[in-house]
Amino acid sequence: MQLERLQADFAAALIDPLRESAIVAALDLRDGRTAERIALYRGNVIAAREKALANAYPVVRALVGEEFFSGLARAYGQAHPSRSGDLNRFGAAFSAFVRDFEHARSLPYLSDVAALEWSVHAAHYAADAGALSRGRLAFFPADQLLGARFGVHPACAWIESTYPIAQIWLAHQPDAAVPLPQRIDRSECALIVRPRWRVEVVVSSPGEIAALALLRTGADMESALSAALQAEPDFRFAQALVRWLDHSILIDIHPPAQSESPSRE
Amino acid sequence: MAGVAPRMLDRALAVVPPGIGIGLRTAHYRDLLARERCVDWLEAHTENYFGRGGYDLDVLTRLRERYPLSLHGVGLGLGSVGGFAREHLDRVAELVRRIEPGLVSEHLCWGATEGQAFNDLLPMPMTHAALQFMSARVAQMQDVLRRRVLIENVSSYVRFAGDDYDEAGFLNALAARSGCGILLDVNNLYVNQCNHGVDAAAQIDAIDTRHVGEIHLAGHLVTDLAVIDHHGARVADAVWGLYERAIARLGQVPTLIEWDTDVPPLDVLVDEAAQARRRFEAAVVRHAA
Repeated sequence: MQLERLQADFAAALIDPLRESAIVAALDLRDGRTAERIALYRGNVIAAREKALANAYPVVRALVGEEFFSGLARAYGQAHPSRSGDLNRFGAAFSAFVRDFEHARSLPYLSDVAALEWSVHAAHYAADAGALSRGRLAFFPADQLLGARFGVHPACAWIESTYPIAQIWLAHQPDAAVPLPQRIDRSECALIVRPRWRVEVVVSSPGEIAALALLRTGADMESALSAALQAEPDFRFAQALVRWLDHSILIDIHPPAQSESPSRE
Repeated sequence: MAGVAPRMLDRALAVVPPGIGIGLRTAHYRDLLARERCVDWLEAHTENYFGRGGYDLDVLTRLRERYPLSLHGVGLGLGSVGGFAREHLDRVAELVRRIEPGLVSEHLCWGATEGQAFNDLLPMPMTHAALQFMSARVAQMQDVLRRRVLIENVSSYVRFAGDDYDEAGFLNALAARSGCGILLDVNNLYVNQCNHGVDAAAQIDAIDTRHVGEIHLAGHLVTDLAVIDHHGARVADAVWGLYERAIARLGQVPTLIEWDTDVPPLDVLVDEAAQARRRFEAAVVRHAA
């Protein structure tokens, strides 16, 4: 189909200035300076992608500087072009790309910071969910708590890193109360939460993450707790539970299934 | 829709009135929520509210209770032969069901090939074949949304050789074939006049008045190479002149002030809306006389 050919030729010129001749042949040349006009479109595509990435990755941008970020965005756009008409979805592979980006090797934590920012970005658009209230939990039979299963908020996410990524992220927030880390050779777990509308990042621990990961799969609290203790021998359950309520991480509670008789005889 | 609490929507807010609206931008959320109603209606970019939940969607839902709303898509790329995403259209439909806007619109453009999306409003050739193709896509959109949509003329830096129609002719034919309405962007007509020598006034005079459901106004940027439709300034005098000509013909058509680059304080947009309203009211008298 002719229209399809025309769009393929236009696309080729948007991707590569050296592939302009086919589309130029199809254009009305009375306007003059046709190649430069096409370059305006090429510039728009690059600018829109950079803007979308800057929106999702403000901390990465602050860490590398605007100029470097610009180049990084361009290289990323070439390797992983946008595939959706919704630019908020552009940038999903940025963390992996940054990890392999030769010129970013001097910042080994950059990739994990990017992964954290993508989770923050996703949390902003995640579904809403009402938090599990203290009242509801208080009325729940204590002897059934370990057998209960819990819903985890759709916006909640976590990332384990060998670098202090939560602190790096926190230090870059407006009116940050947290300084940049003194040393970067320190592992850290970051927990992404959205109590209401504002996404927050809190420093977490391996035990907490192990527990939440199991709860999200639908496992009961006892299994979650045992995974937490395995990951972190001094994991404190009561403290974690308070924190999960405070940050609206838990959204629902389901009593244990009716226990079947242990013997079928 | 499951999981969404039923709301009582004010029926008067279900229709975008013949009046002046402004584009809804994140920078103005707080002001719009805190203030009394300061414009007649609001227009939101559809794709900004594609989230399953979160702050943006909550703000839109709250503003929906106070303002008539229009949903204006910028990412569907109706004219894309290879890269058209049915999934994107389904998300638009989901949001339309949820918000129940007074108007839904998209552009006369394409934006993607099978390999990638360019996230820009790229120009279509104005040929018989393109008209046939666009008509089918607009019909598909209207079938999925189960409502009429408005299609907007875009600005462009290049145009194709061998067009069968001018823009007004293409839009008129598209509306007649698919049953869609026309969103007439007066600034885009002016930008194309500067970029391609098309007579914008003649285009306004040629548009079929029965189909026009909305008018867009915005600022542009004049450069040595081309006039750029950047939506980052006040409406230019020449565009105001064309707007007066348009409403003298069309009468009371909902009119929108758009501002996307270097978004100024809300008061500047409200003032631009007042500029439009002054002309709108004067022109309505002329139209009725």
